[in-house]
Amino acid sequence: MTQATAPAASSSPPAPPATQKDGRTAQRSLGRRLLARPEVGALIAAIGVYVFFFAAAPSFREAGSLATVLYQASVMGIMALPVALLMIGGEFDLSAGVAVTTSALTAAILSFQLTMNVWTGVFVALVVSLAVGAFNGWLLIKTGLPSFLVTLGSFLILQGSNLAVTKIFTGNVASDSIADMDGFDQAKSVFASEVSIGGVDFKVTIFYWLVFAGIATWLLLRTKFGNWIFAVGGNKDSARAVGVPVNLTKIALFMGVGAGAWFVGMHLLFSFNTVQSNEGVGNEFLYIIAAVIGGCLLTGGYGSAIGPVIGAFIFGMVNQGIVYANWNPDWFKAFLGVMLLLAALVNLWVRQQATRR
Amino acid sequence: MTDTNGSTAAQSAVKDAAPGPDKPVVELRGAGKSYGNIRALHGVNLTVHPSRVTCVLGDNGAGKSTLIKIISGLHQHTEGEFLVDGEAVRFTTPREALDAGIATVYQDLATVPLMPVWRNFFLGSEMTKGPWPVRRLDIEKMKKTADEELRNMGIVLDDLDQPIGTLSGGQRQCVAIARAVYFGARVLILDEPTAALGVKQSGVVLKYIAAARDRGLGVIFITHNPHHAYMVGDHFSVLRLGTMELSAARDQVSLEELTNHMAGGTELAALKHELAQVRGVDVEELPEEEDLTAPVATPKDGAA
Amino acid sequence: MDRAFHPRSRRVAPFFALAAASALLIAGCSSESGGKEAEEGGTNASAGKADTPKMKVAMVTHAGQGDTFWDIVRKGAETAAAKDNVELVYSNDPNAANQANLVQNAIDQKVDGIAVTLAKPDAMKDVIAKAEKAGIPVVGLNSGMDVWQEQGLLSFFGQDETVSGEAFGKKLNETGAKHAVCVIHEQGNVSLEARCAGVKKTFEGETENLYVNGTDMPSVKSTVTAKLKQDTSIDEVVTLGAPIALTSVQSVDDAGSKAKVATFDLNKELTDAIKAGDIEFAVDQQPYLQGYLAVDSLWLYKNNGNYSGGGEAPVLTGPAFVDKDNVDTIASFAAKGTR
Repeated sequence: MTQATAPAASSSPPAPPATQKDGRTAQRSLGRRLLARPEVGALIAAIGVYVFFFAAAPSFREAGSLATVLYQASVMGIMALPVALLMIGGEFDLSAGVAVTTSALTAAILSFQLTMNVWTGVFVALVVSLAVGAFNGWLLIKTGLPSFLVTLGSFLILQGSNLAVTKIFTGNVASDSIADMDGFDQAKSVFASEVSIGGVDFKVTIFYWLVFAGIATWLLLRTKFGNWIFAVGGNKDSARAVGVPVNLTKIALFMGVGAGAWFVGMHLLFSFNTVQSNEGVGNEFLYIIAAVIGGCLLTGGYGSAIGPVIGAFIFGMVNQGIVYANWNPDWFKAFLGVMLLLAALVNLWVRQQATRR
Repeated sequence: MTDTNGSTAAQSAVKDAAPGPDKPVVELRGAGKSYGNIRALHGVNLTVHPSRVTCVLGDNGAGKSTLIKIISGLHQHTEGEFLVDGEAVRFTTPREALDAGIATVYQDLATVPLMPVWRNFFLGSEMTKGPWPVRRLDIEKMKKTADEELRNMGIVLDDLDQPIGTLSGGQRQCVAIARAVYFGARVLILDEPTAALGVKQSGVVLKYIAAARDRGLGVIFITHNPHHAYMVGDHFSVLRLGTMELSAARDQVSLEELTNHMAGGTELAALKHELAQVRGVDVEELPEEEDLTAPVATPKDGAA
Repeated sequence: MDRAFHPRSRRVAPFFALAAASALLIAGCSSESGGKEAEEGGTNASAGKADTPKMKVAMVTHAGQGDTFWDIVRKGAETAAAKDNVELVYSNDPNAANQANLVQNAIDQKVDGIAVTLAKPDAMKDVIAKAEKAGIPVVGLNSGMDVWQEQGLLSFFGQDETVSGEAFGKKLNETGAKHAVCVIHEQGNVSLEARCAGVKKTFEGETENLYVNGTDMPSVKSTVTAKLKQDTSIDEVVTLGAPIALTSVQSVDDAGSKAKVATFDLNKELTDAIKAGDIEFAVDQQPYLQGYLAVDSLWLYKNNGNYSGGGEAPVLTGPAFVDKDNVDTIASFAAKGTR
């Protein structure tokens, strides 16, 4: 019979020589390995888009224009970060767009109705935002339903509550202006101030965005928790089998989205003074788009935190670049769609080049 | 039958003498499990000794996975006893089983394919350094340790940063086994580690099962392939329809006997004729009906 | 298991907010300026109530959720309903097919009158004919200036978008603007396009359109800024909604542009901005009046047989200009949500 291998089984492991290689484990070249990073495709696409508009739109070249592009990218990008981490962890959050509005409304209505220092509202909004995230995660785990469904539910709940609660308290569909209340100026300087560099005003969100991206990258690649995020997204059951706290990780990721929603909500509130209760609907897809352009897999388990930064930047550039180039605005959405598809295709092409043997 | 025993009898004799099966690490006494009205497992006795490979064989639906789930803490037994180091236990999570030194390597979920090898190796038990707010992974140390441990098990990889999904199925199983060994497992449960593998890859996995055994681990090797089982096993249990059909040490049973028990005697013979109609299926090694009469009639079979 | 399906965040959020807030309130964390305490001071004018028999009126609009403008329309309708002893059934859906379904729903409820907006008249045609066949009087409001008569509506209350756009253009000529950008916050919305078209028709300077995403304020702000930077000759930003106007003021500031902002529609914050001189003027179509008159006219028709406009002419509720000269009188009404 097939006893030929039996001796090998009984003797102590033979510590095979280093020549024990099959083709599969061959060392990849440095260039290939660099290209395999999830964000590299997006980076190349971003450079392409930048060069394109730099050539096509004279006013795009000014430093001030870059500040405008970066501003839009930053507000979207701050939310895209936790959304990307959640996607790497294998889940979606469709309530992310309206959660921003919920956070801003909570702070505005609470401060106004109780005539309190706005910092109270800011703090309570944080608690509410985190609670919404925790609720999403908890419901996901309790019911075992796909996150698409669970967060679609909470999206509708939040959208309805945003409107209904706002109407109950203000009698209107927008929050009352809190611009003249105590603490407003202080909070504005934290969440919505400007930093002048070389005569150009940059919104403070741009810097928060980059700092948050740095923290998210560190978290993802250099901590235990980051390891768990990849694991629960890549193979939830394997992760559970080796003792990764899968439920905890998922709830924490949803709460991360809550924290992002809180921050962006505060920015909206303190830069626009009031918040419309219907804002934010549809933005959840922009966050997901930014993450996907940035190289995060829709199926989870793969991606980076730098990717969505670049993804949001591409989106901001295309969005504003079309205006700078003064193209016929009737075609705006069509241009936007074409540019995004091209960016995504470049990204895809680069990734295929990287994984090709 | 005699020629197979010729080469292995010596081995088992040596092993019996050396570490000694003094105290079982894990023991099941008349254990069983019912899901509502359905009895998935009943009256199972199983002992796992250090440095021994206990093979659990059985067809699909025989109760193998239920048995694993009880031992690995995913489910709880509803009858009989489950002892670890002689004390009755009842695990409620896989974590508790892991803490008791019982590690399970599942065939299809041994690893996270898109993650690098070293991250997979330390997944769930990462090494860190630094105080809390900046506590971070000790990547260098982890890579170094993973490389050493894998080499100790005889696995040499050029690039620990490659996604583990790029390794072959056998290599992935081996990394998972090495991981379990490194993290102080005393009992290793292997769920069909060779089921999806080719002949060569299966050989690699069997080699590491033996390696784990030689490092002093008790191994529970779940399989439906009696040939694989017989190559490394010290004790064989055959499950059939949720009950123990056979429980025998290596010197009490031959490969043929094992094969027949496993497949269910006459059913297999009938199958042989069917298979013979299909091109490309080699039925030469399967027993003829007349060969079966003796082993099937052995007293051990009465348990079925 | 039942618990999981309760809309829990809705209940929990305000509860948490209140609990935490009251704790902080005790800690003396209150604001010295602004807030609700500063606002509460005005008195609510209460009107008499009609003693006619109770009637039921349905108002079906094409409004999206949470739109300031439609909220004011609804307030007008509710006030008229309260005064006239009318039970008002308000419903809305921006999707034309769904809106038609809501009208059918009203017919099924056997209401005494229907007030409806005709943003997409063709989709509403059949169901309105059904209502008339069932003997239910129908009046139009806001949208449908061109078709209300041919669809057999009793009266129509609204502003001709093109007319108001034209009036807006003329007003811009007076201010001496040369190059206007018309910010459309919902691409493909007929009445928004009509306003910009009207402006273009009468405004002697150059007019171009700019599309922005009205539900995402940072995006609106960036896009308007980008446009102002792209073409520095722009000296007038025309917006079609109050929140967009307020955001555009910030864009003008960001872009370092000299452009002025003028807008269609009005709200509380906007009147403050006009007072402060941030916004040049606003043209108001008096949504409150549209809602109020629509309900009131159905009451008049049912009880007295009167009807406005004699079935021939629409009742125009706008354009009414609000600028620095008259803003003080209007501001207090805007704060109440009636202007």
